[in-house]
Amino acid sequence: MLSVSGLTAEIGKVPVLRGVDLTVREADTVALLGRNGVGKTSTLRAILGLLRRTGGSVVYDGTPLDRVPTHRLAAMGVGYVPQGRGIFPLLTVEENLLLGAPAKADPQAREEIYRRFPRIRERLRQRAGTLSGGEQQMLAIARCLVMRPKLIILDEPTEGIMPKLVAQIRHEIAGIARQGISVLLVEQNLRTALRLAKRIYLMERGQIVHEGTPESLQADPDIVHRYLGVSLKDLKGARQ
Amino acid sequence: MTVARVRAAALAILLVALVAVPWALPALGATFWVNIVAEILIWSLLAASANLLFGFVGLLSFGQALFFGFGMYGVALSIEAWGFGFWPALATGVLAASAMALVTGVMAVRLTWHYFAIITVVFSLIFYFAAMSMKWLTGGDDGISFSPPSVFALGGHTLSLGDATVQYYVILAIVSACFAATALVVSSPLGLRFKAVRENDRRAALVGINVYATRLIAFVLAGALAGASGALFAFFGRYASASYMFYHVSGEAVVWAIIGGSGTILGPLFGTGLLIVFRELVSTVWEHYLLAVGAITILVVMFAPRGLAGAWNGLVAGLLDRGAEEPRRAAIPEES
Repeated sequence: MLSVSGLTAEIGKVPVLRGVDLTVREADTVALLGRNGVGKTSTLRAILGLLRRTGGSVVYDGTPLDRVPTHRLAAMGVGYVPQGRGIFPLLTVEENLLLGAPAKADPQAREEIYRRFPRIRERLRQRAGTLSGGEQQMLAIARCLVMRPKLIILDEPTEGIMPKLVAQIRHEIAGIARQGISVLLVEQNLRTALRLAKRIYLMERGQIVHEGTPESLQADPDIVHRYLGVSLKDLKGARQ
Repeated sequence: MTVARVRAAALAILLVALVAVPWALPALGATFWVNIVAEILIWSLLAASANLLFGFVGLLSFGQALFFGFGMYGVALSIEAWGFGFWPALATGVLAASAMALVTGVMAVRLTWHYFAIITVVFSLIFYFAAMSMKWLTGGDDGISFSPPSVFALGGHTLSLGDATVQYYVILAIVSACFAATALVVSSPLGLRFKAVRENDRRAALVGINVYATRLIAFVLAGALAGASGALFAFFGRYASASYMFYHVSGEAVVWAIIGGSGTILGPLFGTGLLIVFRELVSTVWEHYLLAVGAITILVVMFAPRGLAGAWNGLVAGLLDRGAEEPRRAAIPEES
């Protein structure tokens, strides 16, 4: 579905991606992990065309994205939930959802969203910027879902969210994956990645340095410690 | 009572007041002010044009006078050179302005922020100097004078702009239609895309909005509003002049929109009304009245950043909230 090979990019004259290779297959859930500043968000931004690519290729559903403008991606089935939610705070919750898709023409899609996120239905007329952090994140995911995407790219969806809501957001992402929508997830939270992903990529200095499954990663604590700086002992029972 | 009902009532009162102007003001011995109100209505469309771009799409244009000028010349030339009637001449003015907005917008809306503001000034200056030098076509600073054709003629009955009351109502009808059309656009899915682009163009692109096309549509619509304003002003003054294409005219429209309340539908009307009335009252006794206009602008930006209309909306919402709070408080039993 999404194939990235040899992707390079620069910010100013500084190289931030040095040949990233990754694939996301249909109905796959892939996590991209790494410490701060290793290029996770830059990878997503380069895939989406928000950061100018200097080399390599990004192919989605057989189409090279070299000349595809960012606004076409939504129609091609790519949804993106950026870091820091990425909602429109001065618009109402309903307007944020309407921007995602012509939901009026598909009331079933809206009902599905409301069933999944009842808090959103309660706050339709409220300005999106007045929602709590967790609610804003749910709105960002809901707006993505009304676009009926085939691939959802999420950049640190649990960052800065109350622990009580983190579990709910994880639950929603797992639900999205069960629907057969492919998910590419950037995370700092190893527990979230281990619970949700079928495959995990580890990044270091703008490159993929390891690829594996949650099971293989848990069996190799040295790799986890070397690239993420955390101990697996602290995450005992993460897959449960 | 809801905020929507208060707004609807206020709009009805405003409309009744505007309809009553040709009778009420002469009855009060202020016949001169009928034409001032007509002028306010016309200029408020130019302010609405600047507001559509700045308040709803986030583009600060100092070039709307260019389209105002095209509206004026569209009317003057089509009557003088081709003998058009009122409505075809009006349509020519609006179409000429829209076409010019499309041509300049194709380049201008690729830019944002101060770059966009600067390129709109540059376009305005280029065409201002071109119009000034092409005296054979535009009449330059002297302009082109013309006699306006009748608005409507049927079996010996004619409605002519020579009648001040007819002229006022024609202007009121066209300006009201333009404001109503703006309100429709802003509340439509296109208007929602305008607001999304204003808030964050990158995020807007990620939800599938073609930011460039959205900005270009807004630019052309704003050009049409400015063109309608220029066309009406040409009928009102019976002439067209290149001097109205200078960028300070655009600057005034921006100030009117900000004082009235950018991002609101009727804000430009209030801002234009306040400052033109102020000009009429003060300029006769104080030559440097523009200093006071500058001070008013600074005060509004500091203390009412959403302008007069924004302050009014906040006041209504606050009063209604307080009104709703009282019965709630009364319903809570006091602790013993």
